[in-house]
Amino acid sequence: MAGKSGSTPTTYSPSPATRKKKRIPIADADWVRPDNRGFYQCRPAYLRTGAVSTAAGSAYAEFGNTKVIVSVFGPRESKKAMMYSDTGRLNCNVSYTSFATPNRGQGSDNKELSSMLHKALEGVIILESFPKTCVDVFALVLESGGSDLPVVISCASLALADAGILLYDLVASVSVSCIGKNFVIDPISEEESYQDGSLMITCMPSRNEVTQLIVSGGWSTPKINEAMELCLGACSKLGEVMRSCLKDVVTDLKE
Amino acid sequence: MTMAMEAEIQELVTPGQVLGKASQLKAGKGAYVSTENGTIYASLTGFRSLIPPPSDSVDQRSTVEVTGHKAHGAVPQPGSIVFARVTKVMARTASADIVCVDSKSVREKFTGIIRQQDVRATEIDKVDMHLSFRPGDIIRALVLSLGDARAYYLSTAKNELGVVSAESAAGGTMVPISWTEMQCPLTGQVEPRKVAKVEA
Repeated sequence: MAGKSGSTPTTYSPSPATRKKKRIPIADADWVRPDNRGFYQCRPAYLRTGAVSTAAGSAYAEFGNTKVIVSVFGPRESKKAMMYSDTGRLNCNVSYTSFATPNRGQGSDNKELSSMLHKALEGVIILESFPKTCVDVFALVLESGGSDLPVVISCASLALADAGILLYDLVASVSVSCIGKNFVIDPISEEESYQDGSLMITCMPSRNEVTQLIVSGGWSTPKINEAMELCLGACSKLGEVMRSCLKDVVTDLKE
Repeated sequence: MTMAMEAEIQELVTPGQVLGKASQLKAGKGAYVSTENGTIYASLTGFRSLIPPPSDSVDQRSTVEVTGHKAHGAVPQPGSIVFARVTKVMARTASADIVCVDSKSVREKFTGIIRQQDVRATEIDKVDMHLSFRPGDIIRALVLSLGDARAYYLSTAKNELGVVSAESAAGGTMVPISWTEMQCPLTGQVEPRKVAKVEA
């Protein structure tokens, strides 16, 4: 699928300015990532909108082995049991297919990821534009290859834009793992399993605002700063890729 | 001038892209003004277009809009005229499913309620719901308010609002014969309705 993207740039990496500041410790320089990427190099990204024809809007994202599909429904009438509200409501659900992970199991809903997706998206939707109604976002992880949540968030933002929901901006999300003294951006499952800490940022690239920041593990302040800079740089690059994806769809339709 | 305008219409924007400064432009559909820095951003994917201000207005700023691509499905707003199909008629209220908002059909189901006092403009306390609507009727109504948690409040208290299309027991599409009655062309049977005045 990654081959079909045509003129869209399929990779993104943090801006050169941020990259120059980093020095990979010499002691660890011979250490390579399982997929031969640079420490500050993201996986190739493939994005496409309109993957689900029955939904109001949808998007498919493929970052290396992580493959997700997000469909957006609405604005539609809120469920009866809910209270009246002047603003719109956002409903998020993240689920995994039974074949998403190497250990084949039950496909399941992930409550934790669902609420994190909700947090990341609620700041970006102009909820006042559809009072009393609700927008449903359903994310399905087809294959889990690491950094699932950032991919789901970025993909959901594209799906919302595809559905024509009024947004303040797109949101792009990138995570960084801390392994020993090094940072690795956009970690794969293997790297996530032996990470010492992780940091994920969701930001609106054009407005330069952060809607969500998740930090886990032990971090020192300078390290957090460094990792955040790295993530923000990558987010703005990813934002550009997402914009060009949205624009390609419109130009394709016209031809 | 026209050349410049055409070039502007073709510019494709995505949510979050800067469209201009609030001091020079007004935000129209698909655009919003940020309160922090007075910048106008796009909130939809589509083509940027500039609409010059009406020549008599005091405000000489043009309006910038984003249109032309997908917008979300129609949602009823207070004040919009809707078409709805009556689903249930009770002693004090009638429920209806909204099928059209203004001239657009809705993608998702929305329910509306017509209360007894909103059926007609006169003698509102003597309204009999069963003599005004029947399940299956297509009505034209005005959205009064967002209503309660369940439904939008609709009103048919105007001449041009009410039943526009109804089917008789025999299955024929009935013809309005007065403000309160419709007749079946097959059997000649007369049924009571709150009839809308439909302009030809």
